[in-house]
Amino acid sequence: MSAVELSTELSAAGPSAGEPRETLSALRRVMAAVTASRPGEEARLGLGVASLDQALGGGLAGGALHEIGPAAPRDGGAATGFAVALAVLALCEGRQAIWIRSDFAAVEAGELYGPGLALMGLSLQRLVILRVPRPRDGLWAMEEALQCRAAGAVVTELMGTELMGDDGDLTATRRLALAAGAGGGLGLILRHQPCRAPNAAMTRWEVASAGGERDGFGGLALATFAVSLTKNRHGPTGRWRLSWDHHERAFVTAAVVTPAVPAALSLPVAAAPRDRSSRPRPFARAG
Amino acid sequence: MNDAAQRLGLRLGMPLADARAMYPALAHPGLVAAGDETADRRLLDAVADWCDRYTPLIGLDAPDGLMLDITGCAHLFGGETAMGRDLLARLAREGLHARAAVADTAGCAWAVAHYGDASLVPPQRMRAALAPLPAAALRLAPETVEALAELGLRQVGDLIDLPRAPLAARFGEILVRRLDQALGRLDEPITPRLPLPSYVAEQRFADPIGLERDVLGTIARLAAQLSAAMERRQDGARLLQAVLFRTDNKVYRIEVGTGAPLREASRIVRLFADRLAAIGEACDPGFGFDMVRLAALVTERSEPVQAALAHTGRAAPGEDAELWHLIDRLGARFGPRRVTRLVPQDTHIPEFAVAALPAAARRTNAQQQSASSVLFSPVLEDEAQDRTRDSIGPARPIRLFERPEPVEAIAEVPDGPPARFRWRRVLHVVAIAEGPERIAMEWWRDETGQALTRDYFRVESSDGLRAWLYREGLFGRETPQPRWFLHGLFG
Repeated sequence: MSAVELSTELSAAGPSAGEPRETLSALRRVMAAVTASRPGEEARLGLGVASLDQALGGGLAGGALHEIGPAAPRDGGAATGFAVALAVLALCEGRQAIWIRSDFAAVEAGELYGPGLALMGLSLQRLVILRVPRPRDGLWAMEEALQCRAAGAVVTELMGTELMGDDGDLTATRRLALAAGAGGGLGLILRHQPCRAPNAAMTRWEVASAGGERDGFGGLALATFAVSLTKNRHGPTGRWRLSWDHHERAFVTAAVVTPAVPAALSLPVAAAPRDRSSRPRPFARAG
Repeated sequence: MNDAAQRLGLRLGMPLADARAMYPALAHPGLVAAGDETADRRLLDAVADWCDRYTPLIGLDAPDGLMLDITGCAHLFGGETAMGRDLLARLAREGLHARAAVADTAGCAWAVAHYGDASLVPPQRMRAALAPLPAAALRLAPETVEALAELGLRQVGDLIDLPRAPLAARFGEILVRRLDQALGRLDEPITPRLPLPSYVAEQRFADPIGLERDVLGTIARLAAQLSAAMERRQDGARLLQAVLFRTDNKVYRIEVGTGAPLREASRIVRLFADRLAAIGEACDPGFGFDMVRLAALVTERSEPVQAALAHTGRAAPGEDAELWHLIDRLGARFGPRRVTRLVPQDTHIPEFAVAALPAAARRTNAQQQSASSVLFSPVLEDEAQDRTRDSIGPARPIRLFERPEPVEAIAEVPDGPPARFRWRRVLHVVAIAEGPERIAMEWWRDETGQALTRDYFRVESSDGLRAWLYREGLFGRETPQPRWFLHGLFG
């Protein structure tokens, strides 16, 4: 809504200013129009692969929550690599990445290694790492970090059964999604174990390491992921093979394993609900 | 020694045998307890903590005294006499017997508190108050007091008007200095036991408060006062302390550090809210707090930033401040050491190549770091550029195990790449391996001379797993049976 429109609506409400109730409701309408979510207008993070971006409706939604898990336990490295790549893409505006994990996660899955992250394109000057004593603390920290406008990407590693389908989990992930909407950063939940429980994440990715990429001399080539989009709120799912070009900091051509659903079906089945805005409403904290 | 012992005529420093000779009943072991100096010291510290409610400037006068500088504080308690009475009454309620004296100099107050009976010495009356006191009231060594007594100089009054030069020559310079200090001819600063805050705001309550909400509300009000004061002098706080005085005289000190100078009241309150949440039960309000003090212990100059001009295309200054605030809050909740940044180090040993340093300390470290990296170590990014020329894939893993995980590997001797390896009970067949990248340990770090050379291989298994393996020890030269480890995982 532009300022001009706003003022005309307000002046239209002007003559009835004698009745405060009417003025109020007019103002409420204006505010509702201003604050309502309009799908498609949120920042989209183009992944650089046409078929994938099309499936995502123009790119990965910024200011939203996404979930990344390994296809099998041994794919932890690949899932981490994919999360790092997405974080690098989200950091293009000089913001910072916040990486949250519990003490035990570092022992089990390995510590984040700075030189490797730098090689992937994630500058160490733009990465803050938080170690939390208990996994649940990580969710609190993630919500706080997502609300911060300086955080371009917030990655939280979840070790085990957190957010795996308990009753409160939908609420918890919804809170995270709202926080991401408030701060505008990319929220990434990085699981160490495959999980399919429902939650409020916008998309869910299962990542496996895809071998076989060779460079011109037969050596190891770009990091390559066999990515499967298993949940997508506003579009079809599918499977892709993505290579991360860490020099250009972009995903590059990768063969589509399963075509991303024919074009006829790629229309949204139902319009995104307007009443359930993915932008935050002011809500009171309990307690 | 308690009051009963004092009534019997026992004195401090009297040998136990003498006391038993006077009162044979003391032979009973239950009646005599060994002195515990550390416990005494702790008690004195606790009392000093508590006295903080009167003035921030408190010096310890070991083993059994405290010096309070109440300059400019007394009127808050209804004058010096009332303040002294209040202090003694509160201590007496805790079962502590104490004596207090107020005077213009620390020396005079000490003398009167220990040997006199007045509680307040007016400025013009110091000489008169000191004169009848014994010479020991000047804080002299016992030998000096005895030597003076032999000459018949038993009271301070005997000493005041004596010629100073012979006095100093005979009994040492200390005697004259103590005399001057007591009379105010010589300045005697009190050494504060705690750092003095640059900015302080405090609030007292007639009715104690106990709810966390009330405490935070109070801190918010105090923070607004601090903020206004800091604003005037363009300072920002780097270390803040909230002191909660419980009605039963326990004192909690809660500190939060900040990564960047901070003077916004709302952010200060949020930091304390997080800190209180992290402390939880350990800060027990009991019957409530009757005083809350907020102090900025460490401050730094903080110029106001004009948003429109300072915006240079990188992160907006507002975002920068928000990031610092986030780091501070996470630090307040989980401890500053848990919020880290990775900083490249000057070594080629993989596990030491980066160090996780507290993010809040980055500003100071950044300067040293840049200096050292220019001199010694290649900048990490440049190093990355060089490495990529021999292979397209990243040369370093994104995850590194703190303890390299032992694997069973089959490899050609002496230095061939692994053909297959078993990691976490799963057998991986190596499809392609690159290496070795030989990394020798740094002898200047290696105290025992036992560290073995490592040959690193980047391998990809037939199912796509990319791992960083190394063989520890050169076959034949360093070890007959090299062992294999998995050190990291690639993306």
